[in-house]
Amino acid sequence: MSASPVGRPDGSPWYEIRLKGRLDPRWAAWFDGLSVTTTVDGTTALRGPVTDQAALHGLLQKVRDLGVPLLSVTPLDPEQPRPPTA
Amino acid sequence: MVGPLLTTKLHAPRRRRGLVARARLLEQLSRGDEAVLTLVSAPAGFGKTTLLTEWLAAAGRPSTAWLALDQRDDDPVLFLTYLLSALQRAAQEVGGKALTRLQEPHASIDEVLAILVNELDALEDDIVLVLDDYHVVSARDVHEAMTFLLEHSPSRMHLVIATRADPALPLSRLRARGELVEVRADDLRFTADEAAAYLNEAMGLALTAEQVVALEARTEGWIAALQLAALSLKGRDDVAGFIAGFAGDDRYIVDYLIQEVLQRQPEHVRRFLLQTSVLERLSGSLCDAVTGGDGGKATLQALDGENLFLVRLDDRRHWYRYHHLFADVLQAHLRDEWPDQIADLHRRASAWFERNGERSEAIRHALAAADHARAADLVELAIPELGQGRQEATLRRWMEALPEELFEARPVLSAGYVGALMSTGDVEGVEARLRDAERWLDRTAPSADMIVADDEAWGRLPAQIAMYRAGHALVHGDVAGSMGHARRALELAGPDDHLGRGGPAAILGLAYWTTGDLDAAHRWYAEGMASLDEGGYRSDVIGGAITLADIRIAQGRLREAMRTYQQGLQRAQQCDPPLRGAADMHVGMSQLLLERNDLEAARHHLRRSQELGDHGGLPKNPYRRRLAMARLHQLDGDIEGALELLDEAERWYNSDFSPDVQPIPAVRARMWIAHGRLESALHWAREHGLSADDDLDYVGEYEHITLARALLAQHAASRDLDPVDQATGLLERLLHAAQDGGRTGSVLEILVLQALACQALADVPAAEAALRRALTLAEPEGYVRIFVDEGLPMASLLRAAATREIASGYVRRLLAAIDATQHDGPIHQDALVEPLSKRELDVLRLLGTELDGPEIARELFVSLNTVRTHTRNIYAKLGVNNRRAAVRRAADLNLLSPAPQR
Repeated sequence: MSASPVGRPDGSPWYEIRLKGRLDPRWAAWFDGLSVTTTVDGTTALRGPVTDQAALHGLLQKVRDLGVPLLSVTPLDPEQPRPPTA
Repeated sequence: MVGPLLTTKLHAPRRRRGLVARARLLEQLSRGDEAVLTLVSAPAGFGKTTLLTEWLAAAGRPSTAWLALDQRDDDPVLFLTYLLSALQRAAQEVGGKALTRLQEPHASIDEVLAILVNELDALEDDIVLVLDDYHVVSARDVHEAMTFLLEHSPSRMHLVIATRADPALPLSRLRARGELVEVRADDLRFTADEAAAYLNEAMGLALTAEQVVALEARTEGWIAALQLAALSLKGRDDVAGFIAGFAGDDRYIVDYLIQEVLQRQPEHVRRFLLQTSVLERLSGSLCDAVTGGDGGKATLQALDGENLFLVRLDDRRHWYRYHHLFADVLQAHLRDEWPDQIADLHRRASAWFERNGERSEAIRHALAAADHARAADLVELAIPELGQGRQEATLRRWMEALPEELFEARPVLSAGYVGALMSTGDVEGVEARLRDAERWLDRTAPSADMIVADDEAWGRLPAQIAMYRAGHALVHGDVAGSMGHARRALELAGPDDHLGRGGPAAILGLAYWTTGDLDAAHRWYAEGMASLDEGGYRSDVIGGAITLADIRIAQGRLREAMRTYQQGLQRAQQCDPPLRGAADMHVGMSQLLLERNDLEAARHHLRRSQELGDHGGLPKNPYRRRLAMARLHQLDGDIEGALELLDEAERWYNSDFSPDVQPIPAVRARMWIAHGRLESALHWAREHGLSADDDLDYVGEYEHITLARALLAQHAASRDLDPVDQATGLLERLLHAAQDGGRTGSVLEILVLQALACQALADVPAAEAALRRALTLAEPEGYVRIFVDEGLPMASLLRAAATREIASGYVRRLLAAIDATQHDGPIHQDALVEPLSKRELDVLRLLGTELDGPEIARELFVSLNTVRTHTRNIYAKLGVNNRRAAVRRAADLNLLSPAPQR
């Protein structure tokens, strides 16, 4: 799993899950405390530490169950929690 | 099962009035009547369930079994219980036998599935099985069970799966064969016309064409969203303003719309919706318990009347559930607005379910409330029932959800965890849990710190722990320790505790077997089986016959071994279909018949075992059957085939707690020796560090006798005296050990080898003396191959014996048998236990083509039934269970090459 992001020694790896549509900030609690940020392009980013792959799949399942279109899943550098500009 | 079977899960939801006719989709679905699987795969809110209920409600449909799955069904036993119950509701003659077998203690899933396939096979009419919400299933066991059903799917059954994610089933294979019908999100979306029909006709909204297009575009035909939009629009004055606002907004649709709908509800309804969103099922009484109010029933009926969020689960309007999508959104609101209430809501739900006898639901809510103490109490009380029903998967999931430190003060719970771990073959973690439990047993006075919910189980705990210790020690090779614990468990177990007595007695028997004390081994093991028999553990008792017969064979008591197998078979056949283990008995009888040189009968029993399949066998059968087949192949002169089967047997090896007294590598070494590959055999001996000077023990006996054979062969090849000297010394010591342990089977073989060794050294009197003793022991039990397999050197020894009139009738029979082996060539299709008939070869050839059953029947001018019969026979003879495997096996065996002209 060399592609998986390396977290800080004291924490879990960070991820950004990007969704189509603007999600109300109240969903933060539903998504285990990830930050919910909406952007002007009409998408939403869920960001934060995700314990492991199983937890990540759990989050994706929640996304699936809401019927929200999933746009991307990106590992983040926890020091600079912004996705690398491609 | 913990808690009753929820019949609401087996109801297809009621069809709602005012639906949009979806002829194109119904037509697409009806193609599924020819396919094996219909997959309706789309995200939440795409109208999957509604579409299916509409399809099924159409006139003239075959009977339908409906099963709505939820997270709890991620346990193979629970899943199958529901699946079989659903089938039984649809067709009385299906599922009954399988369900009965599933309830048999320690029956296997494979076996239950095989019975189900047979039951479905016998159906006269088509049946449709719908599995709704299949995405909740993640357990591999369940996917494997469904894959098995799909691959053996009788033509009468059509499976329909509705899911939010494509399931882990062999979809691409089915797709390639044209056996899959798919309805996906893009098919399900409302078209503009359908949206118009829904909004204007069904919901009576009178929108303009532009307004409909705006809504359709904004929702992209997502039905749940259109439905919510319609609800928001109902009774609204400013329709145009609402649509414009909605269309111009890019918020998550459901957020936007539910907000709109919730805002228009009276406060008490809003509160009710949020509070009850934690429930997977809703009834008036349950809702009252959770909300603390008293109008639950009326509120549910009002919501139902308004078409708001609810799905009816039964005809009596007693049970409902929220549409999943809305339940999630409501819960998100709940977490946001009243996060502190959530634990209490779950706790109250847990209490209601406990009062109403649904322990498993009570546990789920207690865990959701993070009320671990309450959950632990409930789990502890559920252990006996779950253990008997083999729902170890559920039990383990609950145990794993509880915090580690909670087990320290709960000995009964800890011991239950050990039981769940050991029965799933997981030894890791056993030691720690055992220690947790044992700490409390040592106390003389009851401690206030200890927590026990199940007092009766606490009374049985010392015996139970001793039994687990005995099993744990045996697995780790600590025979003496195992014996000590087993004896203690027997002392502690109550006289009527059948499992508590049978378990340790059987373990004690196995421990004695490991030491080579066969009399004690047989006595204890038989006693254990008698206790289990009294307790109704029939499958275990039949399996025990293998061990008892093995011990008898080692004792040289072949006739008793045969009787043991026959009794086991009889027991298995008292049930219809035969209980698991019948296949094992046939394999055992085949091996005994082979020793008697009755090869036809041996083949017959092996074939019977093969017909019953590995799923009709116990854990050891896959390897034992291959071992027996290897022997027959060897006798047929197909050495390569025999060696391959040994490789396979090794892969399937399962000790099932028994000592490995006949290791497969040693069996292979013997085969090498018998066929002149001495170097390989000697290499095996070196690799295993075997030498003629080793200390001897029973578990190594078979290997040491094999070494003696290798040494004798080495002498025969080189005329070197050193190997034969070594062999002679080793055999002498082996003989003493075997005699002391009462292992006449071993004694016999050692005497045969001693006779051959003396013959090689030209010590005729000694050779004759050894042979004479062997013949005396062997004749009453009907041994043949033990002499015949030694070939010509044995023939000359026997001829000498015959001239001295030692056991002359028996010796003449042995000589005739050796004579016969010298003329037998390998049979045709020599890799098969039974060759295929010409007609079967014809069918097999056509199975390798694209033709389907009816086409093959036409091609051969026979009925479809005849083709089916041939196909069944082919599968049985090739030892496969589907068409692809048959064709592959045929190719491996080169059966399909053009037949030689004769």
